[in-house]
Amino acid sequence: MNKYYLGIDLGSTTSKAVIIDENDQIIGRGITNTRANYKVAADIAREEAIYDARFTLLSNIIKTDMEAKPEFKKYMEDIRTVFQYQQFKRRMEILEEKLVKTSEAFPYPNKNEIIDRLKSILNVIRPQIRHEFVHGGLGSKNQFFRDIVSERYNLEVAKAGKEFYEPLMLAFDKSITPVENEMVQYNFKELILESMKVLEEKYKGLADEQEDGSKEDWYYAELNAVRNNYKNVELSLREHFELVAEQEIHIANMVGTGYGRALLPFPEECIKSEILCHAFGAHAVFPNTRTVLDIGGQDTKAIQVDSHGLVTSFHMNDRCAAGCGRYLGYIADEFGISLNELGPEAMSATKETTICSTCTVFAGAEVKELIHNGEERPNILAGLHKAIVQRAMSLIARSGGVKNEFTFTGGVARNQAVLKYVKQMVTESYGEVTMNIHTDSIFMGALGGAMFARRNVTAALPA
Amino acid sequence: MSNTIYTMGVDVGGSYVKGVLLAYDDATQKHTIVDKQTEKIRKRNPKDVVVELVDTLLERNNLNYDKDIKYLASTGEGEMVEKKTGHFYSMTTHAKGGIFFAPNAKTVVDMGGLYVRAVKVDSKGKVIDYKMTGQCASGSGQFIENISRYLGLAIEEVGEISLKADNPEVPSGICAVLAETDVINLVSKGLSTPNIVKGINLSIAQRVVKLLGALNAETPIALVGGMGMNVGMIQAVEELSQENKKASFEFIPHPDAIYSGAVGAAIWGGYRYYKLKDKQTAVVA
Repeated sequence: MNKYYLGIDLGSTTSKAVIIDENDQIIGRGITNTRANYKVAADIAREEAIYDARFTLLSNIIKTDMEAKPEFKKYMEDIRTVFQYQQFKRRMEILEEKLVKTSEAFPYPNKNEIIDRLKSILNVIRPQIRHEFVHGGLGSKNQFFRDIVSERYNLEVAKAGKEFYEPLMLAFDKSITPVENEMVQYNFKELILESMKVLEEKYKGLADEQEDGSKEDWYYAELNAVRNNYKNVELSLREHFELVAEQEIHIANMVGTGYGRALLPFPEECIKSEILCHAFGAHAVFPNTRTVLDIGGQDTKAIQVDSHGLVTSFHMNDRCAAGCGRYLGYIADEFGISLNELGPEAMSATKETTICSTCTVFAGAEVKELIHNGEERPNILAGLHKAIVQRAMSLIARSGGVKNEFTFTGGVARNQAVLKYVKQMVTESYGEVTMNIHTDSIFMGALGGAMFARRNVTAALPA
Repeated sequence: MSNTIYTMGVDVGGSYVKGVLLAYDDATQKHTIVDKQTEKIRKRNPKDVVVELVDTLLERNNLNYDKDIKYLASTGEGEMVEKKTGHFYSMTTHAKGGIFFAPNAKTVVDMGGLYVRAVKVDSKGKVIDYKMTGQCASGSGQFIENISRYLGLAIEEVGEISLKADNPEVPSGICAVLAETDVINLVSKGLSTPNIVKGINLSIAQRVVKLLGALNAETPIALVGGMGMNVGMIQAVEELSQENKKASFEFIPHPDAIYSGAVGAAIWGGYRYYKLKDKQTAVVA
């Protein structure tokens, strides 16, 4: 039987899980928002990683088919996002129930009107979200339940009229956290079968021409191929799906790391510091790395590692969250845009507006003022991104500077504007060095954890 | 002959706009609050919020801006108030407002959305000395708002809920953002909402008491600003002050404390109106 190893990185903002095989290859990734309960966050991330691992195993089985036939590749892609939608749907049903219950307990005199309004909002966003998952691949763009719901919910609430604004927002705030902290059990096989039905419906529904005469979005080679062949694909995949659904993913050992690690009921041998894990993970992917910068939700760490991936020195922000991921979260909130729009917009700046405040909250207030003084939004954003990198650079300097290859990890490494300034400033200060950024940068801590787990097989598994 | 004039004060803060309509009786030399209004800014344009608020106050009292309002004074982010006659610095308006609410106060503590400031005042509400928090938002109202939203509490519920605490734990985080994670950890450990909220109130109160110590503040102390209306916060500062061995303070809260800046601005506005009028009369004469 194959043995697998699990690493869980319980960050302050997101919790990540990675499953590796005996060759240190990642076969499953899971990510979720960290809210109120680390235990649930760890469970959700692990479950996600296991589902993901099943898909990976399946892809490995049908590798030759996938390489030869575009319809197989497309079908697998589609079923994954529909699978994500099925998971989303279960949680959404719980949330809807909770929202109504919360509103029913309100002391507002127009309570019934509020509930009516709430229900009509849910009726608007439910099909919207379904459509975006099934046709727009929403699951691969955004993996967080809260973000997906709140973005659309807020939009509808804003249309609902002033007297409903506060109560509807409050209903959401009161309901979302308990729902996020509920572990929802899914049956992989059941969800897959349901997803297959949804897909069948999708492919059948792809009309040759839309009502207005334009071509529909199936007009891409891959989708077109699967549209005509989905019955065949379905038939040949069904058996495999059932097989991987039954397959046991035997986790031989695990390691937990990150902010919330100490709060979990893990045995001591299964807990490692996130500094060690980040460095180890980054070093495994890029063996020549000697300096690792990790910008996460609430910490920025500059770490120096030796040729074995072990930490020789590090520096991190301790008393203040200035310059971390949450900084960007706050700013996105001030602007009312989503977090992943920040980077691209900052890239279109013509200059960098100076931001004086170091504090995340104060910077948010300063941004408001700048907007009202007529500053261009991209320029403000560019200034903010630069400020983050300046703070990271001072941590790097204190930890010993940049040596040999430099690896940038953590959630913020996904932001291209931050990346641009990191490249610029590292080159200015330390000359031309090789810079590594990996698509899995956010999972480096969890990967390091999983690798430690593989090397420490004697530790007992937590019950 | 007794003569009543109307002035208005508008205080534009980080998250709220506060406005008061004040009447001043010439003969008794007394100010009275005729009407008041608070608006949450949320994602709206503060300029629009200000216009809406001023119009509401006028309409509700059947007043005409040009004819009846002698002075519209702004404070806080005053440039948002386009119709203003003049602007006053927040320190002076909160000091004046504090003395209006608590005439025998020797110190005014303004606990607002972003800052806490402690101001020593004379009997007329003039600033003698001050100390304020800066650079970091821990200990600000915004902090409490974030936490309450996270805990799913309406801002009106926050004060009351803190009173129900039986075993509060003060979060260790110094930074407002890091402290949010502390709160996640506290929830994770099974701490009750009242105890969490009280713990946060205590952590902010610690900074207030420290600030008062640094200022060598004299008692009694008028508590003003948005957080000054929060009964949980009032309880927290009172408790901590009693424990403080160096100096014990008496706090005077007021149910309208959030309006201190607006009230102070309106009073200063009236004062300047008379000054200007006398000057003009003098010039004419």
